[in-house]
Formats: sequence, C-alpha cells, structure tokens
Amino acid sequence: MSIEPDRNASAASRSGIGIGLRAPHYAELLRRERCVDWLEAHSENYFGDGGYDLHVLTRLRERYSISLHGVGLGLGSAKGSSAEHLLRLERLVRRVEPFLVSEHLCWNAVDGRVMNDLLPLPMTRAALDLVTSRVAQMQDILQRRVLIENVSSYVRFAGDDYDEAGFLNALATRSGCGILLDVNNLYVNQLNHGVDAAAQIDAIAPRHVEEIHLAGHLVTDLAVIDHHGARVDDAVWALYERALRHCGSVATLIEWDTDVPALDVLLDEANRARHRCNRVECDRVAAA
Amino acid sequence: MSRPLERVQAAFAAALDDPGAVAAFAPALVARDQRTAERLALYRGNVVDAWEKALANSHPVVRALVGDEFFAALARAYGRANPSVSGDLNRFGDRFAKFIGVFEHTQSLPYLGDVAALEWAVHRAHYAADGNKLTRERVAALPPVELLSARFGLDPACACVVSRYPVARIWQAHQPASRVELPDSLDCAEVALVVRPHWRVEVLVSGAGEIAALEQLCSGADVEGAIAAGLGVDAGFDFPRALVRWLDFGILTEDPVGQGDAA
Repeated sequence: MSIEPDRNASAASRSGIGIGLRAPHYAELLRRERCVDWLEAHSENYFGDGGYDLHVLTRLRERYSISLHGVGLGLGSAKGSSAEHLLRLERLVRRVEPFLVSEHLCWNAVDGRVMNDLLPLPMTRAALDLVTSRVAQMQDILQRRVLIENVSSYVRFAGDDYDEAGFLNALATRSGCGILLDVNNLYVNQLNHGVDAAAQIDAIAPRHVEEIHLAGHLVTDLAVIDHHGARVDDAVWALYERALRHCGSVATLIEWDTDVPALDVLLDEANRARHRCNRVECDRVAAA
Repeated sequence: MSRPLERVQAAFAAALDDPGAVAAFAPALVARDQRTAERLALYRGNVVDAWEKALANSHPVVRALVGDEFFAALARAYGRANPSVSGDLNRFGDRFAKFIGVFEHTQSLPYLGDVAALEWAVHRAHYAADGNKLTRERVAALPPVELLSARFGLDPACACVVSRYPVARIWQAHQPASRVELPDSLDCAEVALVVRPHWRVEVLVSGAGEIAALEQLCSGADVEGAIAAGLGVDAGFDFPRALVRWLDFGILTEDPVGQGDAA
C-alpha cells in the first residue's frame, strides 16, 4: 500500500528548527512563550497510559509541532521484532498527531532478548529486504510515512553491498519512507571508519530527506563516541551547510542527551542552525 | 534469505555477552585487530550502562541504600539474569525486586526487595492512566444514606505493598527535602499505599483496615460494604478520616470498579 506524506509534514518539514524535549526542561518550556519551531520527543518515554510526561507532551503539543523519534523498535533485528512495541507507538501517534515519526536504521534484539542500543546493520541486500518489509509494516500500522535515520557505529561489516547513502536511497525508494539524515553520525563514521561524509551527503537522493539531526560527539583515543553531550562540532556545521545546499532547508533538530545543559544553550545551537539555513536560502535566491 | 543476517546478529550478541566470543564474530567485520575487540567493548558497555540507568531511574531509593558502586554491580547481575525483553527501558525493572529477594549478595539486606517492590509500584504509578478523580464537592453533595450505598473506583495509579519492614517510611525518608526520619528499627511491619494525587507519586503509611476497605471498593462493593470490611480487620478503622485522606490524595474515582487494583 502506498502512504501519502502527512499533509502537515510537507509544509512544516521544509523549514524549522527543533530541539529534543528533555524532562529537565519541562517546567521552563511550559512557562515560556514558544521559543523554537518544534520539539522532538523520544517515543518510548511517552508509552505510558497517562501521567506527568504524557500530560506535559499534550500541553506542549498545543504550542509546538511534535516529532516522535523512536529508539527501541530495532527495525533490522532478524529475530525479535516487537508487534507490541509498534502498537504502543501507534497509540501514541494517535494521541499526539506528530508532524514527523522517525526510527533508526539499526537492530537491537536476538530471540526476543533486547539489547537497548542502536546496533549497526551490515549494508547487505538481505538487510535491505528485511528493513524494507519492517518499515512497510510500520507505515501500514501507523498509517503514515516514517523517516529512517542513519546511525553512527564503532565497527563496520565486511562484504557490504551498499554504502549508507545507497542503502538509505534504496530503502526510501522501495518502502516509500523518508530519510532522517544525521550529519553528526556521518561525520562520526568518517572518523571511525574513514567513510567520506561529504561524499555520502552528495550521494543521498535529496527528495527523500525530510529531516536532519545535529549533535555533539566525543573524541577518544579508541573511537569517536556519538554521545550527544556537547555543542555541534565545526566540521559537522560545515557538513550541515553542504546537506542544506544539497537537500534544501529541511527540518533540523538539535539533539542533546548526556549532561543536558540549560534550555538556552539548546536554543543558541538552534539559532546557529537557523542562521545557516537562512544563509543557504539567501545564496539560493541570489543564484536564481 | 535473512538466515545469514540472523547468524551475524546472534554472533554479534554473543560477542557483547562474552569477550571470549569476539574472535568468532570478528571475521564478519572489516578490521580484525585488537581495536575491534575494544570497540565491541564500547557496545558491551553501552548495554550495561543502559541497564544501570534504567534501574537508577526506577529504583533511586534502592540505589541510595546500597551505594552507587554496589548498585552498578547489582544492575549488571540483574541484567544478565533477566535480559531486557522490551525496546522500552522503562519496563526493564519489572523483575528487580524478585531478583533482589534471591540474589546471594543482597541477603544481608532483607528489606531491600520490598523497597524495590515499592519503587516499582511508584514507577508504574508515574505512568498509570489519569483517573477520573472523585472530588470533595461531589462527596459533600451526597446525603449520608446515598454515600453509604455509593460505589467508587480506585485511581489507576493506586497500589499497595505489604511488608514486614517499614518500607513506606524508608521511601519517604529518601525523598528530596523530606522531613521523615529513617525508622529507628527495621522490626516494624508496614503497608505502603502508593497514590498520585496530582502528577507526583507519593507513598503513604497505610493499615489493614484501610486496605481492606479499598479492596472492597475496587471489587465493586458499596461504601457500607467497604466500612464493614475495614472494621472486620481493624476495630479501630476510622472511616470518616480515611475518606478525607482518600479524597485529599485522589485515591477514589467516579467510575465504580475502576481499572485500578489495590493488590
């Protein structure tokens, strides 16, 4: 079955900067005037039947567009796909009516045992077949298009049939999903595995990209860790501009999960992203 | 078709469980040097960190009681014995209390399992459905005869934990800015009643009479039946006082035989 893009999505997702909704910022976000274009909530944190988190999300929904970002579906798990998890997500999507719904290109389970991490997939035809069918099932149940995000990794598989861009393009074409391009993850993979992040951005089919994620990372001797606990790196900002020139001004999220700073720090990062969006738009108009 | 992928993932998972299984998995990867093993150890660390964070979130009092270091070891042992079965980490701690009850290194802290059970009830209450709470005004408007024959439900967040130890006061004493002192003696049975009057979950010290009355109400009895049940187990059960408390803490709902469960 084919899924039409959400009507709200096409208007809102072509522009706008969002920040991740984190519990330490609940009170301030409820108190303040609207201070950013949209908020991204981690879906699983709102899977409850009720309670404070869902109450806050519902209140903020009156002021902000909401994007629901899942971290627990593990779409690429050969064994261990959870129908129950998907139904909980479906219930939340019905409640919140988000403008975007996204998940990761990863796996997390063997035989029903879940490793709560975003584990990398081999970029093979078999993995593409599996993820395509899982994304199709997800879109069938949610009755909407979803976005799938590239992840960072510490190890890389031998014998891949695709690079990440090729895999995502094929997944989007075959399943009708959109791409959530995490520019920081591409850069982390460049540092960890020598994959050319700029070339990956250039190779992504722009028509599929509906959202970009930006975050900070941590450089260690062993590997670059995608810890979402720092400001966006200069090299990632440069790649972001490249992605904007390639894909147009798509919805952009500032992610921060470790040592969550004051809300104003996130808003400052959001303004930096907005500034770059504006610059790219101006250049585009000037060139036209 | 996905058979090889299934095998690759099983080998990956085995390498995360056991550094000894890395060699069997490494041929699937591009680099097979020492760094590969160390990088797989990063994933191994992530999985364990996720266990610890999830349990620290659901069981902060247990953590405060045993200290961060022991808690981290307890989380590792629990995660190995009780693998996560959901992509939602908020559900990870459901068997933690039971595990603490049988784990050899927690046997010297016999109250710890009950504290964990209480914290799990608090955690569940945080995410419970929003009940259609019975108000003081609604009750005040009822003539006494109608009140006696009225049927109410229990708030979905409401739960009780019966313990041979003073678990409710242990929990209360560990709350931020708490004025409750830790009990002098552990030799004191307590019934803890978990409630969510507004959005924040609280724990009350309850008693046999109150619990018997609430159990009657949530099994469909009217108020008169609940009072009789309360008095049946505790001759000193003070219904008017209990009712005020039930209304103050949002324990009753308008809906007879609500989804709540006092057990």
